[in-house]
Amino acid sequence: MIHVFSYRDKHYVYDTGSGSLHECDERTARYLRGEDVSLTEEELADIEALKREGLLFAPETDVRPVKSNEMKALCLHVCHDCNLRCKYCFADEGAYHAAREMMSIEVARKAIDFLIERSGSRRVLEVDFFGGEPLMNFDVVKETVSYAKAEAAKRGKKFLFTTTTNGLLLDDEKIAFLNEEMENVVLSLDGRKEVHDAVRKTVNGKGSFDAVIDKIKKFVKIRGDRHYYVRGTFTAKNLDFSRDVLFLADQGFESLSVEPVVTDIPDLAIREEHLPAIEREYERLCDEYIRREAEGRGFSFFHFHIDLEGGPCLQKRVSACGAGNEYFSVVPNGDLYPCHQFAGDAEWRMGSVLTGELDGSLREKFASSCLFTRKKCGDCFAKFICSGGCSANNYHFNGDIDEPYAVTCAMMKKRAECAMHVLASRKAREN
Amino acid sequence: MIKTIAKPQEKKVVGCGECRSTCQSACKTSCTVGNQSCERITREQKIREDK
Repeated sequence: MIHVFSYRDKHYVYDTGSGSLHECDERTARYLRGEDVSLTEEELADIEALKREGLLFAPETDVRPVKSNEMKALCLHVCHDCNLRCKYCFADEGAYHAAREMMSIEVARKAIDFLIERSGSRRVLEVDFFGGEPLMNFDVVKETVSYAKAEAAKRGKKFLFTTTTNGLLLDDEKIAFLNEEMENVVLSLDGRKEVHDAVRKTVNGKGSFDAVIDKIKKFVKIRGDRHYYVRGTFTAKNLDFSRDVLFLADQGFESLSVEPVVTDIPDLAIREEHLPAIEREYERLCDEYIRREAEGRGFSFFHFHIDLEGGPCLQKRVSACGAGNEYFSVVPNGDLYPCHQFAGDAEWRMGSVLTGELDGSLREKFASSCLFTRKKCGDCFAKFICSGGCSANNYHFNGDIDEPYAVTCAMMKKRAECAMHVLASRKAREN
Repeated sequence: MIKTIAKPQEKKVVGCGECRSTCQSACKTSCTVGNQSCERITREQKIREDK
């Protein structure tokens, strides 16, 4: 399958089977779209050569997913409470539709043991400290890191830690600890003050922008070139979210991710009628992204990264996200869920790190879910880029982890096209 | 005119499962495997650079 698309005055052909990206002129693009266009013999020969090289109309893979019962990662909900009350929070403002509570160090240790014991031959394991706001339970975060490192050393393994925080509790001690121990830190900040404050409220109902901006700036300055993401959410209230991304870039943040909200709150939810505006917005962002990069003042936007040359192998690309099989969420009482977005939903409780139980049939359901069980993905050009999307999103919007949500798919496809245009623009400059 | 912008490198090892969990990325809601790197290629490149 090929996907022919145009971006401004550029024309591209993405070959789904081989994962190759080509640039062409308008006539060739129209020819490849099946329009009645006559190409010269030389032009036709170029197309045939690419076919022979397996870079155009390449057969699609029949490889099977990476299916392993080795666990890789835990999302550790160390705190089911939050010091913010963000309107759109999928986690019920930190409480996950239950009592607000903290994870004890005993449960955290059991979770680490649970992961190590089930990690088989895998050497590198991942733990994300998540909430609510994980820094509200900072002592447990510190003790868990210390315990995990010690246990890993005994077993010849290594942990990569991540923390996702709203930044409100960042102080010198926490900044130093996060910089020392975390492979990646995700800091929540939505963009312009008025956008951020409209949804990210303190417990007292005030906007939180002024309370976090300097702390996040300080953290990022000290962080240097180590991994971090300033991560925002856009809603139906700020469909002009490219301004928020650029605002964040203008604050000196160089590693950014701004994601569509996941909510059913009517005035915030992203709906199908918003898609044309959102697609235009991704293009606006893409144009400015390329311009800044060319001027030597570029930044990194998560969704405009696409590694067509050295990215994951096809086996990984057809394997879905790994939730419920190689990745799990652990809530404060030790219960296991497929991922953070299922946490607290009794239907999806998979077991407990305290007892060691794990629902084999549910795990098999997730282990078996892959690109090939997501039938609607079959004729999508982006299927080997998104791997069938987010199981939780699929479930929450369509009631089935294998039923992709069309609105999410449309945004994903637009971002993929933008990412390809960014890549082509960069290569053109380099040449 | 048609010219190739990018094509996948041939990988010596595939399906090894060493790659990081897709969901442990920046997004937590828009999991995108295409944004990820191959852990093996990254590791081997780092070893070459360190030498």
